[in-house]
Amino acid sequence: MEQFIYYLKVSLISIRRAPLPYALTIFILSVGLGVFFANATFYYQLNSDPLPEKSDKLFFPMLNLVPYECSTDCRTPRVLSYSNVEKLSQTDIPSQAAAMYSADGYLRQRADQTPLPVSIRITQRDFFAMFDVPVLHGSIWPDNSARPEVILTKATAQKLFGKSDVVGEKLLLDDRNVTVSAVLDDWQMLPRLYDANNRNHLSEADDIYLPLETGYDMNYLSNSQSQTFDDTDYRQLSTQGRTGALHQLQYWVKLDTPAQQQAYRQFMTNLVQDEKAAGRHPSPPNNQLVAMRDIVSYFGGDSSDIKAFALVTLLFLLVCLFNASHLSLNRYLSNQYEFSLRRALGASRSQLQLQMLADVLIMALFTITGALLTGYGGIKLMNNLLPANRLFSDWDLTLLLGLLTVAVICSYLVTLYPSLRASFGSLNQQLKE
Amino acid sequence: MITLTNLSKIFRTELIETHALRDISLQINEGEFAALTGPSGSGKSTLLNILGTLEQFDDGDYQLDGKSVKGLSDAALSKLRNEKIGFIFQSFNLIKDFSIYDNIELPLRYRGLKPAQRKQRIEQALELVGLHARRSYLPSQLSGGQQQRVAIARAIAGQPRILLADEPTGNLDSLMARQVMELLEQINQQGCTILMVTHDPDQARRAGRHIQIIDGQLSDAVLYDPLAAQSA
Ligand SMILES: Nc1ncnc2c1ncn2[C@@H]1O[C@H](COP(=O)(O)OP(=O)(O)O)[C@@H](O)[C@H]1O
Ligand SMILES: [Mg+2]
Repeated sequence: MEQFIYYLKVSLISIRRAPLPYALTIFILSVGLGVFFANATFYYQLNSDPLPEKSDKLFFPMLNLVPYECSTDCRTPRVLSYSNVEKLSQTDIPSQAAAMYSADGYLRQRADQTPLPVSIRITQRDFFAMFDVPVLHGSIWPDNSARPEVILTKATAQKLFGKSDVVGEKLLLDDRNVTVSAVLDDWQMLPRLYDANNRNHLSEADDIYLPLETGYDMNYLSNSQSQTFDDTDYRQLSTQGRTGALHQLQYWVKLDTPAQQQAYRQFMTNLVQDEKAAGRHPSPPNNQLVAMRDIVSYFGGDSSDIKAFALVTLLFLLVCLFNASHLSLNRYLSNQYEFSLRRALGASRSQLQLQMLADVLIMALFTITGALLTGYGGIKLMNNLLPANRLFSDWDLTLLLGLLTVAVICSYLVTLYPSLRASFGSLNQQLKE
Repeated sequence: MITLTNLSKIFRTELIETHALRDISLQINEGEFAALTGPSGSGKSTLLNILGTLEQFDDGDYQLDGKSVKGLSDAALSKLRNEKIGFIFQSFNLIKDFSIYDNIELPLRYRGLKPAQRKQRIEQALELVGLHARRSYLPSQLSGGQQQRVAIARAIAGQPRILLADEPTGNLDSLMARQVMELLEQINQQGCTILMVTHDPDQARRAGRHIQIIDGQLSDAVLYDPLAAQSA
């Protein structure tokens, strides 16, 4: 140990000898790795499984149940109409099920206050159990019927009341009376796969939750995706929205066993057959039942620019690595005489390699610090540039360890090759002069 | 203690082959102080480096203490260098941002000695070369003669059996050269074998033995020694 501390000291002394090229090496590596880190974070979060225990049990059913015949693009719509969901709900095969959409609204305590703009997830009771949403105070709605009760996130409760335990408090949601029935604990599913629209996977969770029936009663229209296949007046959502072909609902069911999944598929097939027979399904049947685990790849049509960007950052990292090892090689070559001297004084190759290990360690330390800072800055920058794809700067342990490993490997590559070249060069040459 | 038999060394580059050493057979005994002379480019440094196991040779054999160094592993050669051999170079080869103390400590570090043992040996070596008071100086703060004495202290701190010195006084003025020479003689009297490359006839004469090398070959020192002829 004492000897290794000595090696570390020797490394530091040799850095002090030419600090500028060393700093430049670290800088280049940090920038390359930082950009890579930011992109890797993005990629990792986009592709991670937020509910690994149940992502193969949660399913997203889609039907081609629309009142017109498709001619060219017969892809099943991602969203369902209210009546579609009603029909899909008429079975007890799923252990849990929830339809949902999102809307914008304004919230305040009293009419004389400035309202707080909020994003509303309009959904059903099972949403919270299905997606493991933690409840801090109060309780979730007991059933799916309409009720003027909202569930707040902790942050929204804090913003409105300055405290989190606000169950029973009255609020005005777009100037209609609602009561707080529960407050959620901090929660963020990432990527936010339940919102299966392939765009907002990295955005924040909504501020408040409203029962689906109440949402329709209050004429809330979806703010992310809605399609009408008839002349439904969206201002008459409470009436026409429930019967017409306004498609805006995402629907999730929990199917615990393969048998249940098979049964539900059959149920969908039967449903579509009945609808066809009744003349309400003019298009060819194209039922889909996609597990949450596969939802990204199912909708993954537009991730090619993300892939291209990843490739560019990887190339950038390679260029940085190349430059850094070039700089590092120069540094070692100018120190080559010292390698020879140490050999002449009896240092074995393995002892010199320990010295290099100390070099690697110190370089890794600097590089990791630099790369984490640059990476963090890069993420902040990307968040500002692409607010729609808001990226979270959280690094979980797996990702962080992965990134650190990459940084150490890069430091190792940048140090190893040059130092090997310097230390295996002709031993005596420098000493003779 | 050193036995060379028909040893040869060829440097090969893309363009030329240089026969740096041809068919060298030589015996150096324990406690000898031998001077190695010869024109520039005759192979003196190459011979010294081979003796110090810093360089491989092509043909022949080199036995140190009765054991051939041929085929020894890197670890074994390093150990041998570290424990039995001390090097002194014309240009001192001190590490310029290490203190005198840290420079002398280098070979002891690689031997894995305990801190207390290292300290004791360094102090002894510093005492011998008379630089005890300057132990925390940097090399650049010392005169050339003092720097070479530090290099000598570094070479002997590990208590080697043989000291290989390549023109140790080549960069020094005559006064300093004499001090260094006296120091080497003192070390030799304590039992350390010394092989020293020199251009100085005076020094060659003071050494107990004179080996001459011309064009990579040994020539009979007694026959060709102009000094011997003069004094006769
Ligand atoms: N690494 C090397 N590569 C090629 N030739 C070398 C090398 N080292 C020495 N030589 C050649 O070997 C010969 C002997 O060199 P050297 O031992 O340094 O001579 P001296 O020390 O007697 O001046 C010279 O001709 C020199 O050019
Ligand atoms: Mg020479």
